[in-house]
Amino acid sequence: MPSPPIVSVESVVKDYKLGKTEVHALRGVDLRVERGEFLSIAGPSGSGKTTLLNLVGGVDVPTAGTVHVDGEDTSRLSERALTSLRLHHIGFIFQTFNLVAVLDVFQNVEFPLLLQGGSTAGERRARVDGLLAAVGLSEHARHRPSELSGGQRQRVAVARALVTRPPLVLADEPTANLDSQTGGTIIDLMREMNRRDGTTFIFSTHDPKVMSHANAIVRLEDGRVVSREPVGAEGRG
Amino acid sequence: MAGPGPGARWRQGRILLQIALRNLVASRVRTLVVGGIVALGVVVVVLGSSLLDSIDVGMRRSIQGSLGGHVQLYSAKSRDPLALYGGTMGESVLEPIEDFGRLKEAALSVPGVLRVVPMGIDQAMVSMGNVFDVALERLRGDVRRRQALAAPGPEDEAYESHKAHVHRMVTLLQQELRKAREIADETSGFYKDRKADFDALEQAVAQGFWERFDQDPLGSLEFLENRVAPLSLDGGFTFIRYVGTDLDAFRQAFPGAEIVEGSPVPPGRRGILLGKLYAEDWLKLRAARRLDKIKEARDLHGRRIAKDEELQRWVKENAGQTRDILLQLDPVKTRLAVERLQQALGSTDPDPGRLVAALLSTDDGNFDDRYRVFYQQLAPLLQLYTVRVGDVLTIKAPSKSGYMSSVNVPVYGFVQFRGLEKSGLAGIMSLMDIQSWRDLYGYMTAEKAAEIGRLKERAGARMLAREQAEEALFGSAAPATTSARAQAFDESRLLQRRGGARPQDELFQRTYSQQEIDRGVALNAAVILEDPRRIAQAMPALEAAARKAGLDVKAVTWLQASGLVGQSMSVLRIVLYAAVLIIFAVALVIINNAMVMATLQRVKEIGTMRAIGAQRRFVLVMVLVEVVTTGLLFGLLGAGLGILLVQAVGWAGGIPASNDTMYFLFSGPALLPRLGTTSLAISVAIVFAVSVLSALYPALIAMRVTPLEAMQSDEDG
Repeated sequence: MPSPPIVSVESVVKDYKLGKTEVHALRGVDLRVERGEFLSIAGPSGSGKTTLLNLVGGVDVPTAGTVHVDGEDTSRLSERALTSLRLHHIGFIFQTFNLVAVLDVFQNVEFPLLLQGGSTAGERRARVDGLLAAVGLSEHARHRPSELSGGQRQRVAVARALVTRPPLVLADEPTANLDSQTGGTIIDLMREMNRRDGTTFIFSTHDPKVMSHANAIVRLEDGRVVSREPVGAEGRG
Repeated sequence: MAGPGPGARWRQGRILLQIALRNLVASRVRTLVVGGIVALGVVVVVLGSSLLDSIDVGMRRSIQGSLGGHVQLYSAKSRDPLALYGGTMGESVLEPIEDFGRLKEAALSVPGVLRVVPMGIDQAMVSMGNVFDVALERLRGDVRRRQALAAPGPEDEAYESHKAHVHRMVTLLQQELRKAREIADETSGFYKDRKADFDALEQAVAQGFWERFDQDPLGSLEFLENRVAPLSLDGGFTFIRYVGTDLDAFRQAFPGAEIVEGSPVPPGRRGILLGKLYAEDWLKLRAARRLDKIKEARDLHGRRIAKDEELQRWVKENAGQTRDILLQLDPVKTRLAVERLQQALGSTDPDPGRLVAALLSTDDGNFDDRYRVFYQQLAPLLQLYTVRVGDVLTIKAPSKSGYMSSVNVPVYGFVQFRGLEKSGLAGIMSLMDIQSWRDLYGYMTAEKAAEIGRLKERAGARMLAREQAEEALFGSAAPATTSARAQAFDESRLLQRRGGARPQDELFQRTYSQQEIDRGVALNAAVILEDPRRIAQAMPALEAAARKAGLDVKAVTWLQASGLVGQSMSVLRIVLYAAVLIIFAVALVIINNAMVMATLQRVKEIGTMRAIGAQRRFVLVMVLVEVVTTGLLFGLLGAGLGILLVQAVGWAGGIPASNDTMYFLFSGPALLPRLGTTSLAISVAIVFAVSVLSALYPALIAMRVTPLEAMQSDEDG
C-alpha cells in the first residue's frame, strides 16, 4: 500500500484583506506531494507561492478547501496544535535566514530541540555537531550570525530546519538573497539531505536555475496551478 | 504529543535568560535608559523611606521620652481627643478623672505595665517678674539689716540708693499709667474702680512720703507692696505650658528629663521645674535673649545682620528698648555701668540710656565684640533671668469656675529633655507638682479651704457673703461678678504679699504622701510598659481594667496622643507614598514605551520562533524575562546606591535640624537616616512589581505576533 502523501492540498482558496482591497491569493489550488519529493514551486511574484507555502506550513489557514499535512487537517487544529505540528513535523528555511542574532550558531541550530524537550544535553550536542559537520560549519559553531556570510547563514538555517528530523522542510525563496554560486550550493545541500534522510523538500523560487535542481516543478500563476512537470528531461545538470 | 516536562522548562528558561541578557547588552542605550529610570526610582524610594524610618524613630523617642510614654489614658467623656502638645485651638478640653488612684491601681493590675504617671497639661500665665517686687524685696532686706545694726555703716549708701531707686520707679510708674489713662477712656469702669489705687500711687510719689519713710520703714514698705506694686504694668504676663504631675513618678518614667540647674523638687513637696528653653525664650532679659539669637543665627546658620531682615529687626528692638535694663540699675549700678560702657565704647556720653542704646546698636563688624562687652561688663550688674532658683512664681489661670485663680510655686530648678534641648515642643514644657496644679485648675483641696479660712481670721478682712464663700470653697459655677473677682484676687494677693511669717512658707514645707498625690484629680495618665512592642495588646487590656474599676477611660497610643505632631507624620508618609507612586507611574510609562518599541523591532525574530514551533507562552516569558531582568538588575543597583547615599548622609553628620519642629522630629540636632530592612524589602518589591507591570503590554504584543509576520518582514537576517 502506498503511503499517504505528506502534503495534500484540495481546492484551496485563500483571500486576505490588504487595507480596503480584497486579495485573492489562491483561487482553487490542488496539490499532492509524496514523501521524499524534492519539489519546486515556481511562479512570478504575486502568483501565490508564499501563500501556498504558508498554508502548507500551518502558518496560515485556507479561506476554503483543506490542507492536510502528515495526515492532519490544518483547519481542524487549534493554534497550539498547529504550533506543535510545526515544531515536530516541519522545518522552515526563510529567504532572509531569520536566525536569532544574539545566539551563536550552535545555539541557533539547537533551538528547536530545546523547544521540543525530552533530550539530554549530550544527545543534543551530538545531533547539532553532526548537522554542522554535514553543512560544513563545524568551525563556526561559536560564532554569531553577524560574523557569517549570507551563504553560511543559510547553511545554519538548513541545519536548524533539519535538527528535529522533520519529515517535511519548507523553504521560501531560499536562494533569493544569495549569489548564484552560493545559491547552487545551498540547493545541492538540501538535495543531499533529501537523498540521505528521505526528507521531503518543498521550496519556492522564481529562479529558473534553481528550479532545475528539483524533482518536479509546480507552476503557479494568479493563484492557480498551471502545470506540474517532473524535471529531468530538460535542463538538469 | 506531550509538551516539554519540567526539565525542559528549566533548559528553556536558561536559554531565555541568555537571550534576555544578550539582548540587554546588544541594545545598550535602551537598557541604560530603562535601567537608569528604574535605578533612580529605587534610590528615591530608598532615601525617602529611610528618611521616614528615621523620623519615625526620632519622633518615637521624642514623644515617648518627653510626655507620651507608651500609652495614654484619659476620660472617654472628654469633649476633645487628647493632644499632648496642644490642639489647633489651644489645649484640648478633657473631662477630669476624679480619682487618679483608682485608675493607677487598675492600670498596674494589667500585666506588663511598669508605671502610671498622672498628668494635667495646661497653659497658664506667669508674671514675668515685677522689677518692683525685686526692688521692694531688696529694700526690705536693707531695712531689716539696718534695724539689726545699731549704728550707721557702709550699708547706708546702698540703702539710700535703693530707696532712691524705688522712688524713681514709682515716679516712672505714675508717668506710664498717666499715659495709659490718656489713651483709654477715663470714664470707664476700670478706672473708676481703681481710683483708690491711683490715689495710693499719688501718695507714694510725693516727696513727703519718702521723707517720712525712715520713721516707719516696714509700714511704708507694706503700703508699697500692697497698694502700689500691683499697679505696675511692668513685666506683663507670659504663657507657661506645663504638666502638673507626680514629679517623682515622672522622673522615674521619663529619665530623659534632666535638671540642668537647681535641684529636683523634694519628694512630696510643691515646686516647679521650669523648661530651660522656656526660660531662655521668655524669662531672660529681652535684650540678652535677642543678642543670643543673633549670635546663634550668625555662628550656626551663617546669617548676617546686613542681609537679614529678622536680625536687623532684633538689633533695632535692642537699641530702642533699653528700659528693662535701665530699670534694673539703681544709682550705684548706673554709675558703674556708665563707666564701663564709656570705656568700652570710647565715649564721653554721660547718659546711661544712650550708652546702652549705643552698645546694642550692633552690626556685623562689631557684633562679636559688643556681645562680649554686654556679657562681661553689663550683665553682671543685671539680673539676666527674671526668675531664679529659689524664687516663688505666681501662676494664674482661669479656673474651671470661671474666675482667675492663682497659685504660688517655688522654683527648684530648670529642666530639659535630653536630646530635645532645642525642641520647641518638648523643650518648653515645665514640670509642676500635681497639688499646685490641682489648686490652679480649680479643684479645691481641703487644705486650700482651711488656708483661706485662716487668712480671713488673721487679716480681719471684709466678711465674705455666704454665696461668695461657697464659691470660693467649692468652686461651683456661680456667676462671676466683678466683686467676686476682686475678692478672689484679693485672697491670692494676700497669700502672696504678706511679709513676716508667710503662710505660704508652711505650704511649701508640707510634704504630701503618695496617697495624697494619687487620690486626686488628673486629666490624663501616661502608661509605661515593660515591652514597648506590646502597645497594641496593652490598650484594650487597660481599658477593660479601668472599666472594671468603674472608670470610663480611653486608651490611645503615644502617637495618637501627640495630636497634630503625629498627624504631620502621617501626612509626611502620604506625601512620600504619593511621590513614589508618581515616580513609578512615570517610570512605568517610559519603560513600557521603550519595551514596546523594542518588541516591535523584533517582530521578525519573534515570528521566526513562532514559525519554527515556539508556543505563544514561550514568547511571553521571553519578553517578561528581559524586562524583569533589567528591572531587578538595576533595581538592586539602585538599592545599593540608595544604601550608600544613606550611609554617606550619616557620615556627613546627618541632616541638620534648622527649626524647632525638625529638632523634635529628629529627636536631636541632626537626623541620621537609617534603613530598616522592611523598607528595603518593600523598595525591591516595588521595583519588581513595576518591572512586571511594564512588561505586560509589550509581552502581549509579542504574543500576538504571528509566524506569518516573520515571513513578511523584509529586514535582512
